[in-house]
Amino acid sequence: MRRELQMVKEPLDEEALRRGRSASTGAGAVLQFLGVVRGSEGDESIRALDYETFEPMAVHQFEKLFDALERRWPEVESVRLVHRMGSVAVGEASLWVEIVSPHRAEAFQACQWLIDEMKQVVPIWKKAVPR
Amino acid sequence: MTVSVRYWSWFRDLAGSERETFDLADDLSLSDLLALIRQRHPKFEEVRKSTLVAVGVEYQNADHRLKNGDEVSLFPPVQGG
Repeated sequence: MRRELQMVKEPLDEEALRRGRSASTGAGAVLQFLGVVRGSEGDESIRALDYETFEPMAVHQFEKLFDALERRWPEVESVRLVHRMGSVAVGEASLWVEIVSPHRAEAFQACQWLIDEMKQVVPIWKKAVPR
Repeated sequence: MTVSVRYWSWFRDLAGSERETFDLADDLSLSDLLALIRQRHPKFEEVRKSTLVAVGVEYQNADHRLKNGDEVSLFPPVQGG
């Protein structure tokens, strides 16, 4: 399974990420998810979210998740994930995930699972920047 | 033995610093260290249930035995995405 992980401070370049896709002729599903910063956190109106990570541990935990994903959905041929760090303004993307697989069912399941697990174990925190 | 402790996110505010070192007797567990941290910084008592603990880059349970030079991280629930 191809795997790619990036934690970046710059805005996500969706077009460049799309150009970096590789898919075999057996791939029938390319699923891309974009997580975008909402304008509110709870009742508070915000300007941005400030993301922080403990990067060596985050990389290690993501690798373990990719290993588990590959065991669970061996047919998935590619997982790529990009998470922004630092200040991310409202409306900008903080997370981009792409799953390539033969069929859509495992792509949707794997993507949902990966993001759910990330929110449990990968050491990333966010702080709201009030408006 | 010496163990360094790193605090992440808003746990830095509870500790009043980003990093501390603890000189400990040999053969102590993570729960012994956590008790010392709560003694030094009583605010950690209030977040006992939501405290995540790692040694190096792995999550560890309270009975994990510490070694000289370990780097322990304490942090609140993670919030990626």
